[in-house]
Amino acid sequence: MWFVKTSSAAVLAAPTEADEVVVPPRARRRIRPTTWAALGFVAPLLVYVVVLYAYPLYENVSMSLHRFTRATYVTGEAPFTGLDVYREVIASPQFWTTVRQTTVFVVVSLVVQYVGGLALAAFFRRSFPLSSLLRALFLVPWLMPIIVSGTTWQWMMDADSGVLNRFLGLVGIDPVWWLNADHALASVTIANIWLGIPFNLVILYSGMQGIPDELYEAASLDGAGAWRQFWSITFPMLRPVSAITLLLGFVYTLKVVDIIWIMTMGTGSSQTLATWAYSMAFGKGSSAVIKYSEASVVGTILLVVALVMGFVYLAAQRRQEER
Amino acid sequence: MTISTKRMVAVAAAATALTVLTACSGGDDTSSTDSSTGTSTGGGGTTLTDIAVWDPYPQHDESSDWAKYLQSCAPEGTTVTRTSAATADLLNNLTSAVKEGNAPDVVLLDNPAVPDAAVSGLLASAADVGMDTAGFDANLAGPGTVDGVTYGVPIGANTLGLYYNADILEASGVDPLTITDWDSLNDALAAVTAAGHKGITFSGIAGEEGVFQALPWFWGAGAQLDDLGSDQAVEAGQLLSDWIGQGYAPKSALTDNQSASWDLFLTGEYAFAENGSWFAKAASELTDFSAVAMPLPGHVGGAAPAPTGGEFVLAPLQKKDAEAHYANASKIIDCLVGADNQVKTADALGYFAANKDLRAAQVAADPIWTPWATSIESAQGRTTDLGPDYTAASAALSTALQASLNAAGDADAVRSAFEQAAQG
Repeated sequence: MWFVKTSSAAVLAAPTEADEVVVPPRARRRIRPTTWAALGFVAPLLVYVVVLYAYPLYENVSMSLHRFTRATYVTGEAPFTGLDVYREVIASPQFWTTVRQTTVFVVVSLVVQYVGGLALAAFFRRSFPLSSLLRALFLVPWLMPIIVSGTTWQWMMDADSGVLNRFLGLVGIDPVWWLNADHALASVTIANIWLGIPFNLVILYSGMQGIPDELYEAASLDGAGAWRQFWSITFPMLRPVSAITLLLGFVYTLKVVDIIWIMTMGTGSSQTLATWAYSMAFGKGSSAVIKYSEASVVGTILLVVALVMGFVYLAAQRRQEER
Repeated sequence: MTISTKRMVAVAAAATALTVLTACSGGDDTSSTDSSTGTSTGGGGTTLTDIAVWDPYPQHDESSDWAKYLQSCAPEGTTVTRTSAATADLLNNLTSAVKEGNAPDVVLLDNPAVPDAAVSGLLASAADVGMDTAGFDANLAGPGTVDGVTYGVPIGANTLGLYYNADILEASGVDPLTITDWDSLNDALAAVTAAGHKGITFSGIAGEEGVFQALPWFWGAGAQLDDLGSDQAVEAGQLLSDWIGQGYAPKSALTDNQSASWDLFLTGEYAFAENGSWFAKAASELTDFSAVAMPLPGHVGGAAPAPTGGEFVLAPLQKKDAEAHYANASKIIDCLVGADNQVKTADALGYFAANKDLRAAQVAADPIWTPWATSIESAQGRTTDLGPDYTAASAALSTALQASLNAAGDADAVRSAFEQAAQG
């Protein structure tokens, strides 16, 4: 999914790029040897950005405006269609269903991961015996290859002999057919939350390390309890870290293909925009029909959504700095 | 070191980094093999000494019978380089290789992908290559001909059958010989599950693999691929849906591929398994229980027409030195599927020879093939009727099948799934 990945990278690369391209004003009049050296140093970055970000992005958008088929690769014929493919994709019965499913997947994953990560980070703020070992254990989902965790979730959620249904049976709940069309979205969301909690835990925990202890001491002298301390000190002080965690989490979750694909191949309600684009681009899943242009359209839509979120983040950051 | 030297070094370093990046930007397809490297110009024309062959058999490593046999096919003075990729990726890899002008000399494509590759202009016709296409059974060679042009020949063939656990059937009082149609199969499934065993495993995974497994029931009901909304098509969907609903088949059929459903059968808990002839050898070597194969039954009796599986040997379109590439390709292809060699190739792959007489000799030589002889003769090509339109029909059928399995027996849901598929 290069076209989706670039979206996140482009958003993140934008500020740094602007920082480094700044040329000293004096150099503009006469090109000095130092300027050549500076240009030499900037060149690799520029080439990198053009070759690996700008060009694929351009190709993606261009593909979405032309009609590409498998034969296009041999004949080179890809008629320009303007926004026709966009209209077709948006008018297709799958589009709005997929958008709704993607929204549920992203929002539920993000909220639960953040709340879970925050709760765990607050829990680990006080060190206690074995706390660092326990914290390290929480990182396991992050470190495990997704092919392993995805397959394991698929086994655990097996309707007939999965361990999850056996547990439910112990407390008297009827077995659930986790991976069928209706429940697939919930199942992949659960697995994705499990995958995402360590990321939130790590970032929020390190953010909490930056909050001075004096604040808590002063607060406790004033008689503030743990709950009050959390809402009046930890949570507000974490706001910048929370913003970046949520932004990164949003972009990561939006482009998730692997865990969904391993568990359900994006069938039933688990089809998101990202898995839809993947299946159309490579003829995987139910249909082996290649739909390059349609996949590029969905890729471009994902890109725009991620970009918008990037701007929202930048605006929020600016407002915070102005205060 | 003076300042200016430092600068020089810095510029040089930056320039080097630049060159490396530019060098990396070309040739993004790692799986392609450049086959035009070893060119030597002889008196009459160009001959190429490196022959590239792509196959979808990553499971056969370099020490396998297949790899060794393929190497032995290299004409004198040439070397064969073999590259394997998963079936689902091979056509995409081939597409970009033909575009870049570095397609392999020979490619082995899964048979339902052949029409798609042919109409996309990825393949050279058998006539251009100089391939001998005579002597193959019509039902097996069908997918190689698209719009009246023949592109290649089957490397061998496989098909689906019904394996049963003879121990479970005996313990449940079911005589396998009485299973001749859908009703008697359902009766047998009821009997084994009543005796405390599990019923049947099959692969209902989304995509071509699940469709391949459903076609014996689909065709066995009398349905046709150009009419997915017919009553017969719905009956086939209902049969599979009921197996899930009645608990005869595991719910994981929805996501099981053929290897996963075979693994379930190997647990010894299931009485039946729909699976491929490529497992026949493994089944004959089981020690935990006795697994026997029989043809899949049709709706009202007789062997159901199962789809033919297996790859086609093809020569991709070449832009440069085409004649030299095709000359090499035809030599390799003759070595793989020429009359003297078909059985050797088929044995190396665990397939059947695609010629009736040669196959008869192959079956006679090994008793494990005996129950499969009728299955392979009544098998039919998936793309024979629809050609390149098969890919879309298969996608629609796959969606309907997934919905049927999800319905777990609900007749209205199954019917509406197939009616929707018929509308496209």
